[in-house]
Amino acid sequence: MAFVAPQSPVMPITPEPAPGTSQAPTPKNGRLMEWLTHWSIERRVLAGFGLVFAGIVVISAISYRNTSVLIENSRLDSKSHELVQLLESVSEALDATERGHRRYLVTGEESYLKFYRSTVEQMPEYLRYLRGLTNEWPEQQSRVATLEALIDRQLDAEARAITRREKDGYEAVRHLALSGAAKNELERIHSVMTELDGAEQRALQARVRQSAGSTRNTIALLGLGALLQLVLLASVYFLIHHDVTERRRVAAELENRGELLQAANKELEAFSYSVSHDLRAPLRHIDGYAALLSKAAGEALNDKARRYLQTISDSAKQMGQLIDDLLVFSRMGRQDMLRTTVNLDQLVKTVLHDLHLDLQGRTISWTMSPLPLVLGDPAMLRQVFVNLITNALKFTATRPEAKIEIGATKRNPSEVEIFVRDNGVGFDMQYVNKLFGVFQRLHRSDEFEGTGIGLANVRRIIHRHGGRTWAEGALDQGATFYFSLPVARSLK
Amino acid sequence: MTTVKPILLAEDNPRDAELALAAMEEHHIADKVVVCHDGAEVLDYLYCRGAFASREPGNPVVVFLDLKMPKVDGLEVLRTIKSDVTLKPIPVVMLTSSREECDLAQSYALGANAYVVKPVEFHQFITAVKELSVFWGIINEPPPDSSASTN
Repeated sequence: MAFVAPQSPVMPITPEPAPGTSQAPTPKNGRLMEWLTHWSIERRVLAGFGLVFAGIVVISAISYRNTSVLIENSRLDSKSHELVQLLESVSEALDATERGHRRYLVTGEESYLKFYRSTVEQMPEYLRYLRGLTNEWPEQQSRVATLEALIDRQLDAEARAITRREKDGYEAVRHLALSGAAKNELERIHSVMTELDGAEQRALQARVRQSAGSTRNTIALLGLGALLQLVLLASVYFLIHHDVTERRRVAAELENRGELLQAANKELEAFSYSVSHDLRAPLRHIDGYAALLSKAAGEALNDKARRYLQTISDSAKQMGQLIDDLLVFSRMGRQDMLRTTVNLDQLVKTVLHDLHLDLQGRTISWTMSPLPLVLGDPAMLRQVFVNLITNALKFTATRPEAKIEIGATKRNPSEVEIFVRDNGVGFDMQYVNKLFGVFQRLHRSDEFEGTGIGLANVRRIIHRHGGRTWAEGALDQGATFYFSLPVARSLK
Repeated sequence: MTTVKPILLAEDNPRDAELALAAMEEHHIADKVVVCHDGAEVLDYLYCRGAFASREPGNPVVVFLDLKMPKVDGLEVLRTIKSDVTLKPIPVVMLTSSREECDLAQSYALGANAYVVKPVEFHQFITAVKELSVFWGIINEPPPDSSASTN
């Protein structure tokens, strides 16, 4: 077991990479694609922009850094060049001083000390300058310090030699005049200067290499950035093109459908016209001839036969009513709509006034809340209230006291909801979807009269106004019919 | 009484014509009714040509005009009547099944004197036809017969 255990985690690893690399990306890519296609076009464009933008930011940052390095390098370069030049000047000055000094020691000629004096005078300035040029590089700085000490010592030795020559004459300084007052120091000075110069040259070369590298780097990155931007532009073009093509296609299809719809509407109009004209004629004939028959043979007929004739007449009349209702319904959908401000309170008052004959002999308790002003077609909205109120009256006929409530609620600012509530026979919520259908009835015709077109008309009118209709109720518990109407901006 | 002016009933459907006549019979005006079965026949009657070339001259007291008729339809007949100086005074009552707004509007625009939708219910139909016949055939004073004076 102890041998198996360490092997078991190792074993699966070897076969795994093969399927892992070849199969894993496929579902991952698939999921990614699925995920992307679920995105809206705006989101995809934004994501693309975001990616490319991030790329451009990174490229810009790196380019900025590279360019700063270049600027810094060129600053350091100019410092190095100055240093190299300065070293040369110092070296020349020291050489000239040494030569002049030795000539003075030999000849005692004061004019040979001109270089010595000017060097002594200028040296502190030179050294300060040197320190300034090497202040960023401690290694060079320490070399400068060494140099300073050596120059001090050399100038010091020369000063002493000059004093002895003045005091004791040529013989006293003869050996110094031949070899130089501070020969060792001068040699060391030269070697330190060579070191300084060498280090500076090496640093220069390194910086040149670095600058070249970062320049190449920057060029490559800028190229990449340009490429990214091209990709961005291309994809934006592609997306917009795709979107625009899609929109054009949809618009063309919409137009096409609109034309089809218009043709269908025309056909429907022709159909309802011919229904209104041709279907009613035979009905009139059935009723007419039945009446003529009962008049001509009325005496000879028995009760049963007379009842049959009556049924024929009644059926013809009922079908005539159905056709008339259907025509009203169809006209409601085609009729041009007015859009004016409608005072619903006023509208309900006139409707109730017109219905006063139906109200006679009934005990009704009305509850009226104030109704809002809405935009719409007054005649059509009147039809809505006529239908809803006659419905409420009809289905409360069996109640000793009918309770009818009309009111409005405003659940959101863009629409008003108006309801007509009654305590009538109600309906089973299971059939609520049938309520607003054409010729849909939830009661037998011998219970409550009507063809079943009223609520269909209500729905059609409210839909044309841009509103909705719905109902709530329970069997034997009354019903509430709602409709919503959009509120016009000016009426809010 | 020989020159009693007739009522012209333009009705392509023989059953509708029969029912209309049955309604008029009660008021004993059915015998004064001339029935035409299409628009062309109506125009023939009004202009005394074709089958009516030998009829007694003079305009009918009223024309009951169906909208939908073979050959020449009701609106066309109406247009002809109302654009002819001698026929123009004849009262024209549209008697039709159509309650379509466009038919109503067009009829009145062309100068119809009345527009009656035939009720499906026979009693209503009979009442309508009777009342129309009584009003236009008996109560209403027809325009002076200009064609008679020219003859």
